[in-house]
Amino acid sequence: MITARNLTKTFGRHRVLDGVDLCVPAGERVALLGVNGAGKTTLFRCLLGATRFQGQLTVGGHDVRTDGRAARTGIGYVPQRPPRFQGTLGDMVDFYCRLRDIPADRVASVLASVHLDFAQQARKAVTALSGGMLQKVLLALALAADVDVLLLDEPTANLDPGARRDLLHLLNGIAPEVTVLLSSHRLADIEAVAYRVLVLHDGGWVFDGSLDDMRGRLGRTTTLWVKVPGTARQQARTLLDTAGPAVPGSNGALGTSVERPDAADLIRRLREAGIPIENFWMESPSLEQQLETLVGGSRHA
Amino acid sequence: MRERRRAPWMLLAGRTVTLALGARWFVWYVAVFLVGGGVFALFGLEGTVVDGYRGFARAVAGLVHLSLVIVPIMALLPAIGVIADDRESGELEYTLAQPVTFGDVYVGKWIGTLVAVTLTVMIGFAAMAGLAVIRGMPARVATGLLVFVMLIAMVFVSTGCAIAALIPSRARAMSVGLILWLTLVALGTLGIIAMFIRMGLSSTVLVAWSLFNPVEAFRLGVVSLLDADLSVLGPIGAQVLNRVGSQGTVVLAALTLLAWTLLPAGLGWLVFRRSGAMSG
Repeated sequence: MITARNLTKTFGRHRVLDGVDLCVPAGERVALLGVNGAGKTTLFRCLLGATRFQGQLTVGGHDVRTDGRAARTGIGYVPQRPPRFQGTLGDMVDFYCRLRDIPADRVASVLASVHLDFAQQARKAVTALSGGMLQKVLLALALAADVDVLLLDEPTANLDPGARRDLLHLLNGIAPEVTVLLSSHRLADIEAVAYRVLVLHDGGWVFDGSLDDMRGRLGRTTTLWVKVPGTARQQARTLLDTAGPAVPGSNGALGTSVERPDAADLIRRLREAGIPIENFWMESPSLEQQLETLVGGSRHA
Repeated sequence: MRERRRAPWMLLAGRTVTLALGARWFVWYVAVFLVGGGVFALFGLEGTVVDGYRGFARAVAGLVHLSLVIVPIMALLPAIGVIADDRESGELEYTLAQPVTFGDVYVGKWIGTLVAVTLTVMIGFAAMAGLAVIRGMPARVATGLLVFVMLIAMVFVSTGCAIAALIPSRARAMSVGLILWLTLVALGTLGIIAMFIRMGLSSTVLVAWSLFNPVEAFRLGVVSLLDADLSVLGPIGAQVLNRVGSQGTVVLAALTLLAWTLLPAGLGWLVFRRSGAMSG
């Protein structure tokens, strides 16, 4: 369980965390969202006790500031940027297993579940390994230690689809009693792991609710792109303007912002008007764009 | 049967030493100390036969001056790097996320660097001291020189670790380390003499500075081991000799160096144990 009361962290005059309260019960899976620089990594560092802060913060009942070692015993951490450890992968796993007092073969068996042969990789230099491989090893180290809390700071940020799939596979295998705090910019990762979402902005929470609640709050707006021959372009633009201002895309298509259920009606109206449609598609906004909408809404609220 | 768990600081110290043994700087340092020490032992002592003890002392004094320029910088840079490099590579953050106290991490890195740096000094200077003893240097002087060289190396390891704990930026930490080295090694002594002449400072200030500055303390300590009247150190040596005597100088110099080892180490530990010196 994680609790924070009046958690405040400043860098100079900038308050990254401004009196934040937080309660994450044991076993809860939470996604931590926020635009770049919102303070997600700072919050993780506070939870690890690796930066000074004001307020109270406990992990597993241990005060992070006064009983940090006990708090960190129950925490597994996967940083956004894997450490460029000097030495081989075997050295790295051996070193951190000794610090955690766990047998290294436990890490090997976790990695085997994603078809990674640790023995084969152990002699390779850590600096020669891919980010995806390292993230898997770091997660395996955390899982092998049977921790109560997992802090995952954008663990899939720099991974290729295959490595992401393996990592999500490992995350899906986490025991239900483990508390997970995941920071990510990928909606798919969040959907795979979390069911509670926290959005951090301007030093505080601007959203705390379920994933469905967040989707509802974000609305169902999408961009409809339509490609028509040049001769029908003006006619199509006039019609699309009735839904919202049509904008030209870089590929010659015309796009307009519509509510998702209204998109089909707009296509039907274009066809009824005799406009030949070469192609059409819908483009959902990225999580960052959705966050900007959410954060923008909170600013004006 | 499973190996008994070693204390985290011991694991970290062991890793620091292992990395140093495989690092290029370690090999270079050993080579520099071996070659430098060997050259002095072989050629610097040539004067011994011709000029007797006086020439011998001056040759060793040359070695002392060389040591006080080279040893501090060679201890300072890896000591800053052992924390600053790990901070930049992300290894420090990940290590701090483990079930260790931050004090353990600092102590492990400090001790590991102390061992690695003193090992390079030991290899180089022990070889030199051995050669010098064979060529007639009294064993007491050779041992004293070795101990003082190790002490000055320890001072700058502690100072380097403290600087890296206090200053999160590697570049800034390195700059501060170099400025400190320059101040203590060159500008400090020249400056105090210039002030002594220009402003008419009292001789007490001169003596106090000489025994406060670890580099000066090293110089006074080593030279007083082999030159009872400290004449090779000029006016500063004469002032110190008048105040505390030859043996007193050796003891005070050693105490100064020990204090300069322990105080920065303690300061760095206090800073580091609060937040791992990651930021803010």
